[in-house]
Amino acid sequence: MSETLDLREQAIRKWGSDNRAIRKGKWIGKPARRLEDPRYLTGAARYVADLELPRMLHAVYVRSPHPHARIVSIDKSVLPGLGKTVFAFTGEDLRDVPPLIDHVALDNLLRTPQPVIAIGKVRFVGDAVAIVLAADRYAAEDAAELLSSVVEYEELPPVPNVAASGASDAALLFEELGTNEIYREAITHGEVDEAFAKADRVFSTPFEHNRYMAAPMETRGVLADYDRADQQLTVWSSTQMPHFLRSVIAGQLGLPENKVRVIAPEVGGGFGMKMCTVPEEIAIPFIATQLGRPVKWIEDRHEHLIAATHSKQQSINLEVAVTNDGKILGVRGEFVGDGGGYSFNTESALIEPALAAKALPGPYRIENYREEVGAFLTNKSPVAAYRGVGWTAANTARELLFDEAARGLGIDPAEFRRRNMLRSDELPYLSCTGQVYDSGSYLESLDKALEAVDYQAFRQRQEELRQQGRYIGLGISSYVEQTAWGSESSAQAGTPLPSHDNATVTVDPSGKVTVAVSVSSHGQGHETSLAQIAADGLGVDIKDVVLLHGDTSNTPYGLGTYASRSAVIGGATVARAAADVREQILQVAGKMLEASPEDLVIEDGKVSVAGTPSRFKTLADVAYAAHWDSEVRNSEPLLSATRFYDPPANYANGCVVALCEVDADTGVVTLDRIVAVEDCGMVINPMIVEAQVHGAIVQGLGGAMLEHLIYSDEGQPLTTTYMDYLVPTFSDVPPIEVISIETPSPFTVGGIKGMGEGGQIAAPAALANAVADALAPFGARIEKLPITPDYVLRLMGKIG
Amino acid sequence: MKPPPFKYHACRTIDEAVGILDSDPDGSKVLAGGQSLVPVLNLRLAAPDNLVDINSIESLDHIRVQPDHVAIGAGTRQYVVERSDQLHSVLPVVREALSHVGHSQIRNRGTVVGSICHADPAAEMPAVFLTVGGEVTAHSAAGTRTIGSDDFFESYLTTALEPNEIVTQVKFDIPSGRTGWYFEEVARRHGDFAILGVVALVSLEGDTVSRARITIFGGGATPLRMTAAEQLITGAKASDIGGDLLERAAIEASAAVRPTDDIHASADYRRHVAGLLTRRAVTRSLERAGSPA
Repeated sequence: MSETLDLREQAIRKWGSDNRAIRKGKWIGKPARRLEDPRYLTGAARYVADLELPRMLHAVYVRSPHPHARIVSIDKSVLPGLGKTVFAFTGEDLRDVPPLIDHVALDNLLRTPQPVIAIGKVRFVGDAVAIVLAADRYAAEDAAELLSSVVEYEELPPVPNVAASGASDAALLFEELGTNEIYREAITHGEVDEAFAKADRVFSTPFEHNRYMAAPMETRGVLADYDRADQQLTVWSSTQMPHFLRSVIAGQLGLPENKVRVIAPEVGGGFGMKMCTVPEEIAIPFIATQLGRPVKWIEDRHEHLIAATHSKQQSINLEVAVTNDGKILGVRGEFVGDGGGYSFNTESALIEPALAAKALPGPYRIENYREEVGAFLTNKSPVAAYRGVGWTAANTARELLFDEAARGLGIDPAEFRRRNMLRSDELPYLSCTGQVYDSGSYLESLDKALEAVDYQAFRQRQEELRQQGRYIGLGISSYVEQTAWGSESSAQAGTPLPSHDNATVTVDPSGKVTVAVSVSSHGQGHETSLAQIAADGLGVDIKDVVLLHGDTSNTPYGLGTYASRSAVIGGATVARAAADVREQILQVAGKMLEASPEDLVIEDGKVSVAGTPSRFKTLADVAYAAHWDSEVRNSEPLLSATRFYDPPANYANGCVVALCEVDADTGVVTLDRIVAVEDCGMVINPMIVEAQVHGAIVQGLGGAMLEHLIYSDEGQPLTTTYMDYLVPTFSDVPPIEVISIETPSPFTVGGIKGMGEGGQIAAPAALANAVADALAPFGARIEKLPITPDYVLRLMGKIG
Repeated sequence: MKPPPFKYHACRTIDEAVGILDSDPDGSKVLAGGQSLVPVLNLRLAAPDNLVDINSIESLDHIRVQPDHVAIGAGTRQYVVERSDQLHSVLPVVREALSHVGHSQIRNRGTVVGSICHADPAAEMPAVFLTVGGEVTAHSAAGTRTIGSDDFFESYLTTALEPNEIVTQVKFDIPSGRTGWYFEEVARRHGDFAILGVVALVSLEGDTVSRARITIFGGGATPLRMTAAEQLITGAKASDIGGDLLERAAIEASAAVRPTDDIHASADYRRHVAGLLTRRAVTRSLERAGSPA
């Protein structure tokens, strides 16, 4: 308990309780309709693919058909019109562009520099071999097909999976490293061996988490234009991190950063995939500078499935030591990542296994824990971020194992969780892996979810139906979700990266509000939720607020949107800047109304004397005077402020419960219902929160039931269209109910926590546990995903 | 995702379309709804020199319900067929099967005849055609011929059609007597091609099975009639068709399919489910045939 108090005091000293204030008025907490939706719904929104520039060339990639091969020759001379109507670039032509390397500050992590177009060697089917350009997409594809047919390769033995990668005679992806295993490290927290020695029982499970991917509706796309007159490069990219991309492009291409502008126009979903800098975002701008013509590359879906980054795959061996009455004494876990052909830039191949290892304890009191993390290279598309990075796999393996342990001990799975879960009054709590859980409602979330599905009645009905040969199941998955990715969050996650973000709030002479933020939106509704914060801060309607984001030329520097950071960081920077501008307005209005600024209020666009609403000036009048009236204007008259925020780590939490029925004849699983309890602290817009929960659950459902990027033993991708790679549609999604609990963070501005990943973190385990629960009479143990009808019949012993 | 160059022919008459096919049989493809062909072109898996678009040939857009058959034109969209109450009243299995063909947007474009001619072994319409029986009418420069449903499907995506022939309509036979039907498919998602599916029609005279048609799709290179299972129940009294006979029919079906492994399911799974769906198909068809409706 003394540890807990220390943590609270330390954090408050560090973050300052007075910094936590946020002005709440008419808008925060309201399900305001999204201001951005009309243009999405009417098709008026413009994405990279919609942009056209004069003299623009269309780029098409020639990509490797081999998983592992040396490039012997590429004879560009076969292309008719080469250098006149058709252009082609190979890795050799881009030799001066430095390769992309991860930024992770770990000494024992081996590095795998990735040229933006392969030089000498290809390492996965889809690796970039050349870029062909022509005036239209059809001609460019014709030329790319021709060039592709003449590339000579010397095939090398493929390394299709981790087992093959670690074999003593395995071919090496990077010969100079002498190994395919680029990382291995074990860390022990507490007294693990003692815990296992003392245990009554030990339960273990091997678990293969499937490789799946974000697959946003908008694939990747880049348009680059180099203006020779101004020596200015403008890059439109479907990115989550426009400012960061600007910095990387400037560095890679050797351009002054103030001569590079990056614009993320409408971005049709990112989910983490569009966070890292991808090789295409360097190669396309480079070619634009070389040719002096605008170059557009729009990824097609086939290309996306083989060459955009994949996610989630890792092998987890988990053991839990328990007492007979269900108390967890210790956990051992080995997390091995299948990183693909390159340990990808930004977060490296550790992104899955290292984050999984650190997050493994979740909402439970686990004091003795040994984590071992490994990462291998394989001849597959590289692995990078996707909603719930590492945490999905950790949650799935842990929650499956806990159900297994509960079954083995004869304890109800909900009760097993209750006995080991952290109580609200134990928070803030320092987890054994160094994560400071600020606040939460772990037990309350579990109880609310079970209450919503009438847990006891379900168990009765389950028993009755089993007598009739029908198999229904219920799966529980509790989670904590690290949010607000700033310097402290990233350090607590195990991959330290500095953080920097700002917002500028400006009131123009007409009294309208412009908010420019460094967090960027790719569909999350920032134009509404951040407007709600600005509107309450300034006492205006959200319709009077315009939010600028995604363009480095009109927004302050910052890291964009990923890892559930934008509600906390965007919210705080906007709230702080709005508070400063409010002060500026009140100074002017005080002079106009001959009142002290402290006695004034702003509501509904009017500044009035508190208690005397008839003494008022409209915000428009005040703003006009602030700019033009030398009698009342401030010494720095602009009504504008820019504020910074690097947030303390904080943790959302919740519980997902899924109900299903398994057809014991066909193995088909019917999902009946999903209930999600979400606690993300102070809610800015409950409708947006609910939609985020729905979306994340659907993606988690995809991973658990449908989505699987499959490679053959020869390293060939087998899921190369949407007929093979199965993304859930609306007809595959059961009713989802979202229940909200609000436990404000004691550390962040306004008590806001991030959210949006919990559904994807928790839903796969809820669904897998539901199926395992339905199949308990068959002794089924789920050891891999997705759960296909074929796998279900194997679990039941009916085939195989 | 752009097709290689081709010559596009917007044909107004069947003769015009047949003429182009005849001039370059191996280099021409017929475009109706385009739901299979266009993706194949965009993926550059096929590169025909001529695309023969029959969408503007008005005479091909029809549904004609006759006493003993239903004729559907090659231009008739799946959605229109699905919505035809007149057709539904005589062949209810068609609407049920069509509801599993992709999603409504796909059925707005796709045609019944196109699906049958594409002959995907895991598709619904070829299996329905084989089950209900009937014929297609094929035109070429040499004249017109009909091909019966039993002779139409030869192998994976391969039919008895010659490259210079174009199908103008399909006829589905209307079963006589009290007939029950069944359709079920197992798919990873609604609207996907089936992992495995069944279509069945079972007719009764009195209490005796007079005719049984059971087709498994997704279980081989073509949709497959389960003739051994059909023979087991034909001539049997409906009231006698129970545990033992159903079990034997299921075993026959599992033995008759020729499935392969793919990423969605193993051959073992398909064999298992073929038996199971055959059993369900017989049971439910008999129930429907026996019910007074």
